[in-house]
Amino acid sequence: MSDVPIKNPGWAGNTGEFDLTEEQVRGEDFIGERPLHGGHSSVSATMPYMLIERNPEAELFEGEYQERFKKILTRYPKKRAALLPVLSMVQELRGHVSPESMDRVAELLDLSPAYVRGVATFYTMYNKRPVGRHLVQVCTNISCNLCGADEVLAAFLESTGTELGETSGDGDFTVIEAECLAACGFPTCVQINSRYFENVTPADVPEILEHLRVQAKEDG
Amino acid sequence: MAYPYVSNAEVRVISQYFGDPTHRRIDTYVKRGGYKALEKALALEPDAVTEEVKASGLRGRGGAGFPTGIKWSFMPKKPTRPHYLLCNADESEPGTFKDRELMRWDPHQLIEGCLIGAYAIRAQHVYIYCRGEFFEVNQILAKAVEDAYMKGYVGEDILGTGTTIDITVHQGAGAYICGEETGLMSSLEGDRGEPRVKPPFPAAVGVFGMPSTINNVETLAVVPHIILNGGEWYRQWGTEKSPGTKLFCVSGHVRKPGNYELPLGFPLIDLIDDVCGGIRDGNQLKAVIPGGSSVPLINAEDARKCELDYEGCVEVGTMLGCASVIVMDHKADLVKQIRRMVDFYAHESCGQCTPCREGSAWTARILRRIEEGQGTEEDLDTLMEMTEQMVGTTICVLSDSVAAPVQSSISKFREDYLELIRSGEQAGAA
Ligand SMILES: Cc1cc2nc3c(=O)[nH]c(=O)nc-3n(C[C@H](O)[C@H](O)[C@H](O)COP(=O)(O)O)c2cc1C
Ligand code: SF4
Ligand code: FES
Repeated sequence: MSDVPIKNPGWAGNTGEFDLTEEQVRGEDFIGERPLHGGHSSVSATMPYMLIERNPEAELFEGEYQERFKKILTRYPKKRAALLPVLSMVQELRGHVSPESMDRVAELLDLSPAYVRGVATFYTMYNKRPVGRHLVQVCTNISCNLCGADEVLAAFLESTGTELGETSGDGDFTVIEAECLAACGFPTCVQINSRYFENVTPADVPEILEHLRVQAKEDG
Repeated sequence: MAYPYVSNAEVRVISQYFGDPTHRRIDTYVKRGGYKALEKALALEPDAVTEEVKASGLRGRGGAGFPTGIKWSFMPKKPTRPHYLLCNADESEPGTFKDRELMRWDPHQLIEGCLIGAYAIRAQHVYIYCRGEFFEVNQILAKAVEDAYMKGYVGEDILGTGTTIDITVHQGAGAYICGEETGLMSSLEGDRGEPRVKPPFPAAVGVFGMPSTINNVETLAVVPHIILNGGEWYRQWGTEKSPGTKLFCVSGHVRKPGNYELPLGFPLIDLIDDVCGGIRDGNQLKAVIPGGSSVPLINAEDARKCELDYEGCVEVGTMLGCASVIVMDHKADLVKQIRRMVDFYAHESCGQCTPCREGSAWTARILRRIEEGQGTEEDLDTLMEMTEQMVGTTICVLSDSVAAPVQSSISKFREDYLELIRSGEQAGAA
């Protein structure tokens, strides 16, 4: 995490009524450096996690990922149930799920490539194409929309100099619209990679982007 | 602790520790009486646990409001095959943001509820199907489940009683329809999240072909309190038919949006004016959607009469749904908001049923036309007729959810539509 202070700590930040730290609100003090794969096989993470650093050529399912794959298989009575978790791991490693990756997954789980494609394309969180280091998803659904989400989206597009869905020239940002992120009381909610920013107004956008640029440099 | 969204009107049963970051830790939770309800439940017969929940009158908090104890009693009494409990943590109904708060502030309350529910329905495995977008929540939940395994509350031979229950945290990958109960089951099995025709019902043929019960996060979070204090205790709040407390997620044009736990039957207008500090910027109330984007919207007049329980909402022509109260003031661009919701449903339709797939896309197109000043008054009749055919004709009720906002807004706010149509006509004539 970058230590550039950021005004919008992600939860009720700009109401000024809240006296916890961002770390406490997000639960970082609780989960600490908990690795994604966790200790217990039941909770080994399988969300389509987005890292800044990714490698579209990365080997699939070696080392730690092989371990995670084995753990995941133990918790379902049928092997096919591991499909979503495995696709998520692909995205975590490579940043998107390419047709070639889908074929590898099909092989691994004894499924047909057509089946895997049919499933992968059903779910919006799997990026079918490469995206910027920061995938900015602005919720424009009703609660956020009532409170100005369209302006927030416009501000992100303007500040990154991109069109909707297009990646900026430096490869840093892709901005897209999202459906309700279940943070409707803290509008506008923006998900950037795997993190929520809440109560975002157009005025916050340059600062958030600066924060992300610094973070990309540090991590990348 | 400073959880800014509190009000004196609240009765905080399940939200008591919102805003207290120490409560996620298992030691704190246990020190405050956590896992006592589990201990008590495991000493009872499973059916006695179900009876207690029945006595409380608790109704499902995921939207449909089906009585939880009765749902549990549909499960086979003599298990010959594995049973599953599914916890629906896919929260994605626009306007709803309560399950995320429940999981991030009080993960052990949910875990305890899952364990008690699983015991009651004789399940040895619980899957918590949590939204893939919830990165922090998933990590918090994962750590909490891990801690609960370490302390012997989850896993084999729980607390030395011989009962075995495993809990798996599983993540979705972005699809609203996976919140529908059978869609969730398809998704959990590694398939497209397409809903299935009922019957067979999940209690007979559920996930992996086995008897299954599915409950919302909030429903399960209440269960430990009911077991600990008794079903009768829970009935001290709410109404005869809608007992207990409920989290109300208020969003839109109020001064203090947020999650408020209130007794069911609470007057909607008091929620808006007192609890949430009234409408922003001194504006006037125009419309309210009291139960999330899938329920009909009501005007200010009905909002003043509405009591927030399952029956009270029906009386004013809407539904309580998951109690996601979306408030609009007189400056709201209502037609645009309805169109935005229909866009959402068109995007999320799984495509199996023609009325839903085609109907939602067409509805969105006509609405956009009206919004852009290209509509005619006949379009409104077309919309009414078309959405009429989307009700009760499909596998799941996503299709009905398109009809609800469209029909209610045309019948209650026709003038908003006509204004756009007229201004378009004038612009065309000029
Ligand atoms: C399209 C659709 C989406 C739904 N999404 C959710 C959801 O995100 N979370 C949820 O708990 N229930 C959702 N439901 C309701 C579930 O189908 C189911 O009724 C509920 O999880 C049952 O739990 P309960 O009895 O505890 O309410 C949805 C239903 C439909 C038709
Ligand atoms: S009603 Fe719509 S979402 Fe539901 S099963 Fe049919 S097509 Fe899919
Ligand atoms: S509408 Fe934006 S988070 Fe729900």
